[in-house]
Amino acid sequence: MRQHQQPRLDIRSVACRFKKPLLLLLPLILFLLLQTLAPAVAQDMSEAEYRPFPKIGSRNAAWIAAQLHLLFGSFILGVPMFAVIIEFIGWKTKDARYDRMAQEFIKLCMGAFSTTALLGGVLVFILIWCYPKVMSKLSGIFGPTMIFYVVLFFGETFTLYLYSYGWDKMQGRHKGWHLFLGVLLNVFGTAIMFVSNSWLTYQTSPGTQYGKLSDATRQSWLESKLSQNPGMTQTEAMEGITDATVIPLHNETTGEFLATVWEAVNNFTWMPVNIHRLIGNIAFGGSIVAAYAAFRFLVAKTKEDKAHYDWMGYTGNFIALCGLIPLPFAGYWLGREIYMFNNTMGINMMGSLFSWLFIIQAVMIGVLFIGANYYLWSGMGRIDGAQIYARYRPYMIAIIVICVAIWMTPRTLSKISTSSELSAMGGANHPHLGLFGLMTAKNTAVNIIILTTFLSFLFYRRSGKSPTASWKKVGNIAISSIFFFSAVSIIVIGIVGFTVPTDLRVNVLTPYQVLIALAVMVAVTIIDIFMYRKATMSGTIKWGEMTDRSQYVLILLAITFTSLMGLMGYARSGLREAWHIFGVMQDTSPDAFTPLLSEAVNIVAIIMVIFFALVGFIFWLGLWGEKKKQQTVAVESEGEH
Amino acid sequence: MSNTVVKIASLIVMVVSFIAYIAGASAFPIASENLLPWSVWFIISVVVNIVVWSSVMKLLTFSLAVIWFYAFVAGLVPESSTATGPVTALPWEDPDAVAEIGAAIFNGKGQCSACHTVDASAPKGRCPDLTDIGVNAANRQPGIDAKTYLIESLYEPANYLVPGYGKIMPEVWKAPIALSQLEIEAVIAYLQSQGGEIDPTPYDEPIDRADAGTVAAALPPLLTGDAALGKKVFVSAACISCHAVTGIESPAAGEENQDFEVVTAPDLSEIAAFNDMRYLEESILKPGAQIVSGYGAVTVKTDGATLQGTLVSQDTEQIVVRTKKASGEEEEHTLLLTDLDEEPIEELTNLQANGYFTLTLTPTDADAPVSGEIVDETEDTVTLKVGDSNQTLSKTDVKSLLTIVDFDGNEIVGSLVSGSMEDDEIVLNVDGSEEVIDTFDIEEATFTRAFGKKLLVTSPMPENFPLLLSVSDMSNLLAFLSTLTGETASAEATTAADAEASGE
Repeated sequence: MRQHQQPRLDIRSVACRFKKPLLLLLPLILFLLLQTLAPAVAQDMSEAEYRPFPKIGSRNAAWIAAQLHLLFGSFILGVPMFAVIIEFIGWKTKDARYDRMAQEFIKLCMGAFSTTALLGGVLVFILIWCYPKVMSKLSGIFGPTMIFYVVLFFGETFTLYLYSYGWDKMQGRHKGWHLFLGVLLNVFGTAIMFVSNSWLTYQTSPGTQYGKLSDATRQSWLESKLSQNPGMTQTEAMEGITDATVIPLHNETTGEFLATVWEAVNNFTWMPVNIHRLIGNIAFGGSIVAAYAAFRFLVAKTKEDKAHYDWMGYTGNFIALCGLIPLPFAGYWLGREIYMFNNTMGINMMGSLFSWLFIIQAVMIGVLFIGANYYLWSGMGRIDGAQIYARYRPYMIAIIVICVAIWMTPRTLSKISTSSELSAMGGANHPHLGLFGLMTAKNTAVNIIILTTFLSFLFYRRSGKSPTASWKKVGNIAISSIFFFSAVSIIVIGIVGFTVPTDLRVNVLTPYQVLIALAVMVAVTIIDIFMYRKATMSGTIKWGEMTDRSQYVLILLAITFTSLMGLMGYARSGLREAWHIFGVMQDTSPDAFTPLLSEAVNIVAIIMVIFFALVGFIFWLGLWGEKKKQQTVAVESEGEH
Repeated sequence: MSNTVVKIASLIVMVVSFIAYIAGASAFPIASENLLPWSVWFIISVVVNIVVWSSVMKLLTFSLAVIWFYAFVAGLVPESSTATGPVTALPWEDPDAVAEIGAAIFNGKGQCSACHTVDASAPKGRCPDLTDIGVNAANRQPGIDAKTYLIESLYEPANYLVPGYGKIMPEVWKAPIALSQLEIEAVIAYLQSQGGEIDPTPYDEPIDRADAGTVAAALPPLLTGDAALGKKVFVSAACISCHAVTGIESPAAGEENQDFEVVTAPDLSEIAAFNDMRYLEESILKPGAQIVSGYGAVTVKTDGATLQGTLVSQDTEQIVVRTKKASGEEEEHTLLLTDLDEEPIEELTNLQANGYFTLTLTPTDADAPVSGEIVDETEDTVTLKVGDSNQTLSKTDVKSLLTIVDFDGNEIVGSLVSGSMEDDEIVLNVDGSEEVIDTFDIEEATFTRAFGKKLLVTSPMPENFPLLLSVSDMSNLLAFLSTLTGETASAEATTAADAEASGE
């Protein structure tokens, strides 16, 4: 019989126990220190306008640090969103597999969290060192939001730690509280992203024309009036100035910001970027998780492991798809707002400086959709009874390939054609194919791709199941009709789009196409859920029996997502051209120009290699820790025997 | 053992060739002949790695290959950079070199090529094609030489508009393009090199950058008008009768005006989000200065009928005019420009400003009339595009037609030989024979010097606002308009809806 011993405070064991959280906190502390000191340091160093970063230059250094921070940030913000949902499903269905998977996702997130904070700190350090004036200006405008950011960061950090370390302890009756922590974590994470987005979107689209006076402007107005009229009272000086008084956001000559901080936060591209990134984070997080699962699947030794990581990969890809489908819509909104803010900027983006970048973007999004569909079809191979859908595959492949080809079609060929080719075409546009280069054709193509991908997913969902609903025939006819008529409508609207003025197309026709696609997905999902509610299983899913090729597709998708984010980051920043803050603060550094696309993709490639190396290292650390834990458990259980 | 060597060697080659490709290193080993660029080394090593390695290394190879592939594809497409370097001096000893600098700015920092083409075969762009602008600039405006025209066009582009194109060009010396004087000089040299001679004569900028700054600084930065009072002005001055603003009740309809369509003037709900106060002020004081596309008023004649309505759209071949019947029913008419009726012209002055785009006249030394599209106009001459060539004709040496209507309603049309209404008789040449008409029998006589097709777009907004509005009204109205960023209106609408919901 074991004797009860008085608990003894062992400093070493306590230190060991808290070593990991403390190590994780270290970069966070560094980051917060830099964040907090940023305005003061920037102010001190504001005499120097620019300082060169050794060897690679200031712009490249800031670019690499910012993009890496953004990629890790996107991952750690995206993963908790679906981890909470999966945990909730596990709680409600009482299926422990979901809980295990959600916990595994959060473990991945924990590893990446401190790296994100560390990279954030590095970025702030580079910016303060290389661009003191810019940082001084931005911190002068956004000072209050930076303090808010720090508070949110504390909130996010401690919620994440509680959520992760409390996972095993908060099972059972505490599960509801644990889920609440997960939701809170997402609230903090989303708020943090919204705040930081306001800084960078302000640089691209610095507010509307007018806004309400800031207290500082009110005070300086008063002082200037009193100095000009010494006999005047404060009330006289402020006569006519009310809470409704508005002011141009910036002094036209000095570029000084005159309005309240909210006017700077709530700029043209802020909310579109928020929404775009929110959805993008889900897609990106899902794809990275799927790539991790693919890697674990490929190196797995046991059937159980293969089955688990096959399932995890499928879930990750499903989440990525859920994010990918609405992404083009959010991107369209962002593009529209850029046009609304500054027409020339919009033209530069889609029709001039960056037009060919969007052809590359189309190639990548084409790869994403084709890859995602391929994975779904591949997955249907391991479901008994899924063969009935195989006959549709060639047609769906043809539709997607044709639509991707349309999406990739450039409008103007002047830069890649010889003069004889141009004269044969009778201009810079191909007489027939040139039509596909117009936005109306591209919007139509992307909506059809989305519907086809949704159909693939529907087939996957139905595989191995037989509906028992009495109205299944009517339901199938209804679903087929919805798909057919919506596709016809989208195509007809697309054709009409060639004949109407741009305003009508942009503001009416394209939104209708989007609404039709979204309505189809909602309506069909509802019908399908009810139709298959009491479906009988005609076959089982043989988890773990996926081909290796399909796992490579998951990795391809993760790399493509990352490349795409890198290239779009280049476009978003490059649109400012020779401005730190567009139209307000000019870039007078040697880097005051938009680099060539070929230079940009090389930088993006370097960022990708570093990102995947870091992610690989973090995942490997997690794997290593897991192995050590398993070995310890094995040794302990041997000892007990 | 040998297998291990191959594995490690192929791995090293792959990593090295990837780094070299990204870094843009020269080809290896035979750089001068470029036989084996790094991309080929990379592809070979990827294939070898995939064959010799398994599991993790194969996966890494695949990942690196995908990253490289995207970089490679993106490197193949055409690209542009805005890098031009600072222009501190222009080498005027070599005008072509200046034009080259100007071309780089035209295609880069100046962003001109985003809208202008320099290719006659290119499809119609957002702004006019600039092929041969070095010559054509001299013919654009009467009495203005090519360089002056180009200077004006770059500094104050709204001054001269090419027919068929709107006021969309920004002032390139202002932010965000912000070209320096030297940069603008280089662009002008480039434009002059398009078919013309480069004129290196220095010029004074038609604007004063320092003064512009001082004026801006001296302007009171605050809009001290009362937006709430301005809102009342907006309703009482009847702006609301034509312009919609979300959330403001229309006295005419007696309901929120988002529920009915206001088609006569643009929606102003977000006007301040995209326009500064100067634009708003100009729009009130000079409504015709900038007409929003799709809202211009137009009167055209076709097949003897007159159509009066809104110009919905216009291109080089046709126009779309929306008319409204007394019943309120709207109708859109698509008209070919060639189908418009020619209208008689009494005075050959300011033809283009009055909307004429074609002209038919008979020179005194010619028997047949000359007809063509108006290309250019001076005080004394008009240049018509007749067939493929341009003809410059005098405005004074033109045969006039006199249309005489007698008291019985008979109409006689002929060219004037002699006489006037002051004389007892007038002699007309009608179809080759001379007719003498007693001036006492004439009820109405009209001189017609030419005929032309006309498309004059005007603002339907009345121009008497400066008379109607006091200074404080104007200030209040501007203060109100400057709050229309879209959010204010939606916030007000929400507040109103909340109030309604709570029974207030």
